[in-house]
Amino acid sequence: MKTLLPILAFAALGLTGCATSVNTVQRANPQATPSYVADQRVVTDTTLARKLSTVSVSEAKVSGNLLKIQVTLENRSTKPQAFTYKFDWIADDGMELSGPTGGWKQIQLEGREVRAISAIATNPRAVDFRLKVRENN
Amino acid sequence: MKSTRFTLLALTAASAAFLTGCATQNNAKYVDSQGPNTIVSLNSINIQDWNTAADKLVASLLASGVLERAPELPAVMAISRIRNNTQQQVDTDSLTKKIRIALNQTGKVVTTTTMGPDGRVEDAMAADAGAMGAFMAGQKQVTKLPYYTLSGKLLEDRVSVGSTKQVTYTFQLSLTTVKDGLALWEGEELITKQGQRSSVGW
Repeated sequence: MKTLLPILAFAALGLTGCATSVNTVQRANPQATPSYVADQRVVTDTTLARKLSTVSVSEAKVSGNLLKIQVTLENRSTKPQAFTYKFDWIADDGMELSGPTGGWKQIQLEGREVRAISAIATNPRAVDFRLKVRENN
Repeated sequence: MKSTRFTLLALTAASAAFLTGCATQNNAKYVDSQGPNTIVSLNSINIQDWNTAADKLVASLLASGVLERAPELPAVMAISRIRNNTQQQVDTDSLTKKIRIALNQTGKVVTTTTMGPDGRVEDAMAADAGAMGAFMAGQKQVTKLPYYTLSGKLLEDRVSVGSTKQVTYTFQLSLTTVKDGLALWEGEELITKQGQRSSVGW
């Protein structure tokens, strides 16, 4: 019995770990028609790339002339993971634009969760973007 | 002989790295104010909290599209009272200034600095100079009245279980049209932090 207890506890721990992943239900034929952006990806952290994948990148104009970018991310692990991300905005002349609120932000994704992060460029001159993602320490 | 030299080199490099690591931890250094290596504390609203709240509230306001409804752009906005109902002594400009700068960058809103809640103006000299200029010219002072006012509230909720503490800061804002007193847009952002003690980095 004494030897059985640690095994049972270990199994319970394992099951709890599995239970953190997210099940989802959605419309079989989505009605939304997002404007997808062809993206270029630069991977410098392969561990992060294994844990987090970019599902899609889409864009829209809000408030008339401001660029909004939405990036859908998926936590490929079955455990909750925390990441930090930052959007940089680039003007039509290639210059990076600065803003008062453009710092690193945190996102926590449950196991296998798919979630979108988005940002709006506060400067109407922004035409391009760069999203940086890093794993939390 | 070669392998001994290699081992010695590796050991020296490892010790140097270790010592450098210790040195950077103890000594003061500059960190990016908007970066992920700032201090996270449970007993105060940190700079990253102000940044995140302002960023999300501005995004919500812009996405709502209400700023397009003003009869003339840029619309004039006055900062009304932002109530601080937290236990912290904070300057609410930490939030409102970021929002003002971001909205100003959009070209859709400008903020008046010569009008404030309870007659307290941000730029008293500009208000006085405007009044004096109008008086000297024998005219009535024409102050641009705000089309919008921005008001809000900061709230705090603290709970703990054992030695784990949790604090939630709530940032609430309302954008009201002066002519009818209706809140055209309302936004709320919650930031929750949990842990046993403050830490460096996220």
